Order: sequence, then structure tokens, then C-alpha cells
Amino acid sequence: MDLDALLDCVTTSSCVVTQTVSGLIVGMLLFLVAAGLTLIFGVLKIVNFAHGTFYMLGAYLAYSVFVGTGSYVLGVLAGGAGMAVFGVVFERFLIRRVYGANVLMQLLICYAVVLICDDLVKIVWGPDFRAMGMPPEFQVPPFFIAGGVVPPFYLVLIAVTLLIGGALGLGLGLTRVGKTIRAAAINPDMVSALGINTTLLYSMVFAVGGMLAGLAGGLAAPVRSLTPGMGFSILIESFIVTVIGGMGSIAGALIAAVVLGLIRSFGTIGFPLFTEGLMYIAMIIILVVKPSGLFGKEIV
Amino acid sequence: MGRAHTLRDIAIGCLVVAVLAAIPWMLPGKAFQDFVIRCASMALFATSLNLLVGYTGLSSFGHGLFYGLGTYSFALLMQKTTVSLPLAFLLTLLISAATAVVVGAICIRLRLIYFAFVTLAMQMLAHSVIISWVGLTGGDQGLQGGIPRRVVAGIDLGNQYNLYVFSAAMLVIGLLLMRHIVATTFGTSLRMIRDNETRAAFLGISVWRVKLTVFVLAAVFASAGGMVMSLFVSGAYPELINWPISGDAIFAIVMGGVGSFLGPTVGTMILLLLNDVVTRQTEYYGLALGIIILLFALGLRRGVLDFVTERLGGRPAGGIH
Amino acid sequence: MLQITGLTKRFGGISAISDVTMTFNPGTLTAVIGPNGAGKSTFFNLISGAFRPDAGEVLFKGENITGMNRAAIVRRGIGRAFQVASFFPSMTVAENLMAAIAAHRGQWADLNHRFPRQGVRARALEVAEMLGLQDSAGVLSANLSHGDQKLLDIAVALALEPSMLLLDEPTAGMGPEERWRMIEKVQRLWQVQNLTLAFIEHDMDIVFGIASSIRVLCYGRVLAEGTPAEIRANPAVIEAYLGTPDAEDDL
Ligand SMILES: Nc1ncnc2c1ncn2[C@@H]1O[C@H](COP(=O)(O)OP(=O)(O)O)[C@@H](O)[C@H]1O
Ligand SMILES: [Mg+2]
Repeated sequence: MDLDALLDCVTTSSCVVTQTVSGLIVGMLLFLVAAGLTLIFGVLKIVNFAHGTFYMLGAYLAYSVFVGTGSYVLGVLAGGAGMAVFGVVFERFLIRRVYGANVLMQLLICYAVVLICDDLVKIVWGPDFRAMGMPPEFQVPPFFIAGGVVPPFYLVLIAVTLLIGGALGLGLGLTRVGKTIRAAAINPDMVSALGINTTLLYSMVFAVGGMLAGLAGGLAAPVRSLTPGMGFSILIESFIVTVIGGMGSIAGALIAAVVLGLIRSFGTIGFPLFTEGLMYIAMIIILVVKPSGLFGKEIV
Repeated sequence: MGRAHTLRDIAIGCLVVAVLAAIPWMLPGKAFQDFVIRCASMALFATSLNLLVGYTGLSSFGHGLFYGLGTYSFALLMQKTTVSLPLAFLLTLLISAATAVVVGAICIRLRLIYFAFVTLAMQMLAHSVIISWVGLTGGDQGLQGGIPRRVVAGIDLGNQYNLYVFSAAMLVIGLLLMRHIVATTFGTSLRMIRDNETRAAFLGISVWRVKLTVFVLAAVFASAGGMVMSLFVSGAYPELINWPISGDAIFAIVMGGVGSFLGPTVGTMILLLLNDVVTRQTEYYGLALGIIILLFALGLRRGVLDFVTERLGGRPAGGIH
Repeated sequence: MLQITGLTKRFGGISAISDVTMTFNPGTLTAVIGPNGAGKSTFFNLISGAFRPDAGEVLFKGENITGMNRAAIVRRGIGRAFQVASFFPSMTVAENLMAAIAAHRGQWADLNHRFPRQGVRARALEVAEMLGLQDSAGVLSANLSHGDQKLLDIAVALALEPSMLLLDEPTAGMGPEERWRMIEKVQRLWQVQNLTLAFIEHDMDIVFGIASSIRVLCYGRVLAEGTPAEIRANPAVIEAYLGTPDAEDDL
């Protein structure tokens, strides 16, 4: 524990800026992953324990496309598109077989996929970590905001994740598919009662969830080292986010993700060994006070 | 009739220990004994988890907290104090029970998936504490330095064979006790709550008390399993309280069968066998294990022992809906 | 037996039960009727402690049981069966009843003795016989017919030796013949066991055929109460039932 360092930081504008920006990046990337997780849970009542794997594969895919074409944008798009397809395949051939089964059976299936994909990544990209490096277009001098160093790429990242989040919100709020998904998340029985094609709907939800996680993986690739198994910590964190926000609530996920990102970035200064512990404590406290999360429906 | 059942179970248990004790005379070599010791530790843990999952319908993702707590409490008591091994054993059970009362009181108010995640958070919190409290726990290096004073009633548990028989006996005693628990009226209350919590409450059962009691009992048996592991590895390591340990137990009970009392034990044997065989064959352990799990899970859609029981025309004692 | 004053329950902004005052006299067989959504199930849920009332008072045998939890109310002698049959599907009929009896005898926390303890099985078979379930004692309850599941639900409640029994639509989902078979069993139970019994029912032939008194709920309020003859002649009831013929199919 190093409370002095934390105190020093929060009283220095440059440190506050730096930590806030990095907290926002962590939070927004987390939000993209968690949004898909919470959407899938809301509509299908399935906990997708393989969601971190989508993120990992998205990152590796983006890396390879970037190395091949030199275009970061293309890489990110490939990560998103690839994981949308992967999500559909995953739903169609595996998850669909365990709808209604016990949550532990679903956990086991997803666990198997995680194990398989981690090893496949090892086979294809090797067991050692890979670094994508900063794409050339972002290799420019950093901004200084109130004394804090802010690489332009970070700002772009925050802007892009916000855009994606906004597009998701608009898509869910305005389009027909979006409205159906939202209705299904609120009341799954109603949707089949209305005669909506649930098979297609479920595929869609997994496509959207996979795409968001893949985009997040691709966006994060320049600032994260890629390793087989990198999906696990983001999985745990996005679970914390969805649970704190209330499972099924996108708005809840956004707020929880940003808060968690900030806890992480400031926590590493004050409690370098106990940053994760802080997140768990936050989750436990929220659930004790509000047993279904901040924006969750009471499950009766 | 009840007494006859109990006596029969005890007789079978004694027989199993006797047979296991005899095996090394015919089959020398450490590998088998190591396997049984690890099996005993893990099977105690997995069966205790099944008291929650299979019998009460409480899907805990964080039961490894109590397994790990068992290893650390026991190893710390042996290393940092002068208490005897049996006393350290009892104190560890008490520590686990007390912890489970607090953790359980917080967790069991929550429902379904929230319960699952908050138990996991509790475990990961304990893991974080252990990693960061380097002075006491050795941090991510673990508690090294071995377990002193291993002689109990003239028997040296530092001796591989003695530890082997001790572990087998622990497993059998633990299983007999848990078998007794599920066969009592309290055990029936667990099934009532799993099947239909509302109805159970309307029959005058204090659902909250039953859940907390079984949560504490399960923690006690889990920590007993942890202590066996601590003796085996001569210490305690963060891996023994990290999330995959809970994953292994879940794997064992789902593979073995949540509906059969011995399902988790069978599942543990499958898991450890897979582990030992596959790691010897290939460096891609995850790939092989993942494929095997998928085949099992999608093929049988239930645990091995449940599958066998149903095939033989029986009705699994538990079962999750 | 049961005196209710000013009972009120709101869900969100909507009052499911508002200011209900009524009395159930000992030994009566009372039908509670009303259109769907009238608040009948909520009314039973309030009496039995499933929900806490927002206002009002429930006296049972002179004791104030308002706001007590389910277990406490059951122990005082109010048993209930549910609109959707409620039992333990992984157990046989006999095990369901034995479990209920053991719970009633306060053995539910017993960690010393094997289940079932002395006398529990015999008593379970007695209870099964009261409802004609003795031949299905060994059948897994999940595999029972719908009608037998409703009977099992009542039997489970009966295992608690209640002095008052609340049955929420005992004939729900049954054909006409099956209904009468069910209701005859209920009626016999009421006579033989000397119970105070209240039941919710939609079939007017049954209501007017067997009830000794009737309570009509509508929009959470008491619309009328009295003997079958009085209810039949009550203009408000005629209005509610005949004025909006679809009322029953609203949900
Ligand atoms: N648990 C609940 N939460 C919210 N509203 C409820 C709940 N239970 C019942 N209601 C509402 O209370 C009203 C009365 O319902 P109910 O008592 O089930 O009617 P009845 O049994 O007479 O058909 C309905 O509008 C119903 O939607
Ligand atoms: Mg009703």
C-alpha cells in the first residue's frame, strides 16, 4: 500500500490527467466487451464465459491484418467482423445445444472453448507475447493537458469507443432489430409470444456481442501486449462490470466500466499489489447494498 | 433400516481404506500414491461443492476460497505457531467455518448468477490479499519452508506411504460424513430448497438458515481437502486459492455427475487422469482437454455417473433443473 | 377464525388489494371469486405471508399475524396450495409428503437422524389417502398428471395439519368432469378434517354448488359478500359479471 503516492497523484494535475485518461481507456474498452456480455445475458439468459476469448481473437486478428496490410483501421474492422462471424458460429454450434441447461454446463462448454482457443492462438501466433506497436499514423508528439502527457492515440481511442457506444445506443433505441433486442432483454417470453424469429434474434445478439468484443480487442492491440490467455482478465473485469451495472443493463455497464477503469488506474498508484482486490471489494459492496446491481431488475 | 444403511456405508469405507492401504505392497512406486493423495484432496473439495450445487441448487463459483483458506491456515499455523498437527487441523476447520458464516451471510441473500459471481469475487479478493500480504503469506512465491511437526500419534506423515493412507482415510471419513448429511432430514431440506424454495418456506423451513448451514458445512469439508493438499505440497501456494481451483471442482462435479453422491469423486478421478495423461502426451493440454470436455458435455449432456445411473434404470439422487 | 381489516397492497402505483375487510368464520367453506386480476391471489399471498401488506391488519384466532413471515404463519395453522401446483418435482409423492411432515415436526434442521424419522412415513401414507393419492405414493411427482399434481399440492399443505386452508384455484386447467372430482375431494376434506377452508374458483356452478359463503373481489376491493343466495341476487355482482362478459378472459 502506498497512500502517500496516491495522495501525491490526486493533488498533482498532471498525474490526475494522465491517470484519468488511462482509466477512461481501460473503462471504455471494458465497456465494449461488457456491453456484449450484458446484452447476451439480457436476451438469452446465458452467461458467455467465452467472451474474453472473442476479445483475444479480435486483437490477434487485428494484429495480423495490420502486419499484412499496414492499415490499423482495416485491422480493427477485421477484428470486429471476424468476431461477429465467430460469435454466430459459436452460438449456432455450441451454445444453442445448452439453452436451458444448468449454468454450470454452459460454463463448462465455454471453458472448453477458452482452452481450445488459447492453445490455437499458441499454435498460430506462438506462445510468446506479441506487440503490435503504435500504428505509424499515431506516432506523433503527445499533447500536454494541465501538465499531463496524453498521447493522441489515447484520445482517438476514447473518441472511437464513445462513437461505438453511441452507435450501439442509437441502434438499440431506433432500429427495428435494436428495439426487438431490447424488448427481448426486458422480457424474453414476450418476444416468442410475438412470433419473432428467436433463432435469428439469438444469432444477431451473438454477432453484435462478438463484434463489440472483437472491436475492443483490435482497438486495444496497440496498447496491450498480446498473449494467449489475455482474454481471462478482461473476462473477469467485464463480469464485474456487468454485475455491478446490473446484468442486462447497457447503461449500467457503461457507468460501471468507467468507474472500474478509474479504480484501476488510480488503484495501481495507491495499492499496486491490491488493485484487483479493490475491484472485488467494489463489486461485493454494490451487491450487498443492491442485490441485483445498480440498474438490474429484481429477480424474484 | 437407517442404522443398517449407516453401518453398511461405514463397512464399505473401511474396506476401501484397507484395500488402498494394501495396494502399495503389490504396486510399489510413488505415482499411484501421489495420484490417490491428490484425488483425496480434490474429491473432498468437489464433493463439498456438490452439497451446494447438486443438493441445494446454490451454484458457487468461489468455493475454492475455502479450499485455499484450508491450505494457508493450516500451513501458517504449523509454521508460525507451535500447535500440534491435530490442533492445527481443528483450528483450521474453525477458521473456515467462521469465515464461511461471514461470507455466506453476505452471499446467500443473492440469487442465481449474482450469487455465483459474488462468491467468485470473495475468492478472488482472498487471492488478492494473499498475493499482496507478502510478509505473512510469501506473496506469489507461496508459503515455502515445509510443514514441521508432522508426527501424529507416533505416525510420521512426512513418510509418503503414511500420508497416502492418511489421505485415503480422510477422504473416506469426509465422504461418510457428507453422505450422512445428505441422508438426514436436513439433507432433505436441501433438496426441497433446490426443487422449490417457495414451497419449502411455506412448510415452515427457514430457508436462510438451511442455506447458511450448508454453506458453512461445505466450507469445512473443502478446507479439510485443502489441508490434505497442504501436507502433500508442504506449504501453500496462491494457485491453490486462485479461480482455476474452483473451475476444477466445477469441472469434476459436472463431469462426474451432480445427481450422484459419488459423481464428484468420479469426476475428480477423470480430471486428474486426463490431466496426467494428456500433459504427458502433448504440450497442447488445453486443446486436448477442451475437445474432450466438448465431446463429453455435448454427447452425454450430464455427468458420467448420472448417465450410468439412468442407464441402469435408476433415478439420480439429485439433479439440477 | 380469520379477521382482516383494511388490508392494502400496492405494486408500483397500482393497488392490487385496497382496504379489504372481511371475516372467515370457523368451519366455513368460503369461495373467493372475481375476474382475473381482481387481486384474489394477492389476497391469499398477503394472508399467508408471501407479501407484506402496505396497510391493514390480519388477525388469526385473535393473534395479530400481520407482516409475519411465511414460516411463522404456517406454524400457526394456515396452510395453502397454489394456483400453479407447487411441490418438489425430484421427489416421489411419498417423499414430498414425508418432507412436508418432517418440516412440520420441526425436524428440518436435524443433522443427526436419517430421513425419514420414526412415524413420518406412516403419517405420509395417511395424508396421501385423504386425497386418494395412496396408489401413486411411489411415483415421481414430476411425472404425475396435472390433476394429481394439484392434489399433491393440497396434500403437502395438509401434511402441516392446518386449521385453515387456502386453495388458489384448485381446479385450474381441468376439464369439467375432472373439476368436479377435485371439488368433491376438497369438500370431503373440509367435512372430515373439520377445516376452515377458503378457495378461489371461476366455475360458478361449483361456487354456488358447494360454498357456504361467497366473497366477491373486483379491482382489489370487496364487491359483495354473503350466502350464495344473496350473491346471486346482488345487482353489483350481476353488473360485474354480466355487464362485462369478457372480464374473465382479460389476461
Ligand atoms: N408480484 C407482483 N408484482 C407486481 N404486480 C403483481 C404481483 N402479483 C400480482 N400483481 C398484480 O396485482 C393484480 C392482481 O393480481 P392477482 O392477485 O394475481 O389476481 P387474480 O388472482 O385475482 O387473478 C394484477 O394486476 C397483477 O398484475
Ligand atoms: Mg390468481
